[in-house]
Amino acid sequence: MSDRPATSTRSGPGRLLVAVYALFALAAGARAGVQIGTQFSEAPVAYLLSAVAAVIYVLATVALAFGGRTSRRIAVAACSVELLGVLVVGTLSLADASAFPDATVWSGFGRGYGYVPLVLPVIGLVWLWRTSRTDGPAVAPTAEDTSPGAGSTTA
Amino acid sequence: MTNALATVIIVVSLLAAAYSLWSAWRDRAMGVPHLVALGVLEVLLITQAVVGFVKLSGDEGPQSSATFVGYLLAILLIPPAGAGWGLLERSRYGPGVIVVACLAVAVMIVRMQQIWQGTNV
Repeated sequence: MSDRPATSTRSGPGRLLVAVYALFALAAGARAGVQIGTQFSEAPVAYLLSAVAAVIYVLATVALAFGGRTSRRIAVAACSVELLGVLVVGTLSLADASAFPDATVWSGFGRGYGYVPLVLPVIGLVWLWRTSRTDGPAVAPTAEDTSPGAGSTTA
Repeated sequence: MTNALATVIIVVSLLAAAYSLWSAWRDRAMGVPHLVALGVLEVLLITQAVVGFVKLSGDEGPQSSATFVGYLLAILLIPPAGAGWGLLERSRYGPGVIVVACLAVAVMIVRMQQIWQGTNV
């Protein structure tokens, strides 16, 4: 389990980042679930956007938590799409409010969530960039051996 | 939803957040006190869920009860998730995760009160 090259996206400050991402995955997912389950016909576009946002947050959370090479690419893509989404939806929701009768996570640049949705992808991308510069064995591995089945040599 | 219980939950979560922030500040990893605080918080949240469902099944409750139930159940996930994720990190960022989790609980409780009272939905 310890042969993963760079687990650094999830350790240290990255652990906080993943926690906040998980929180938003939960928030966006619950919101989308309630909206689609109870009142989908009222504003299908806004509610589908909520669902898309939820999927992207889940993707970013999982990718940042794994932190392998492929996960890193997925995380970069998710954060980029997220940034684009919050900017486009934020602008549209202010410019053409009638298209968004009900709020999504990204409405008003994430105003309903303390603008965290606007800041989060930027921090995510900066974090991914910084941890990618220190790839290789520079980051000291945390010596946690949680493998239960390791046969101990002490008799 | 009762205001007294909500107030207690908010106070406990803010205290736990403050304690965890202090731990992170002093560069300590997560320990037993953090787990106890999260355990207390979880018990309070379960109590709230039970009280909430009893009240909803009686005729009390907000207009958008689906959203309220969503909060009522989703908030139960946060203390255990925070504990698990924080324990894996043996550094100051373990308690840091608990700060995030506890603040999230406090914010969600405030939001639930707003939904319950039908303001700012």
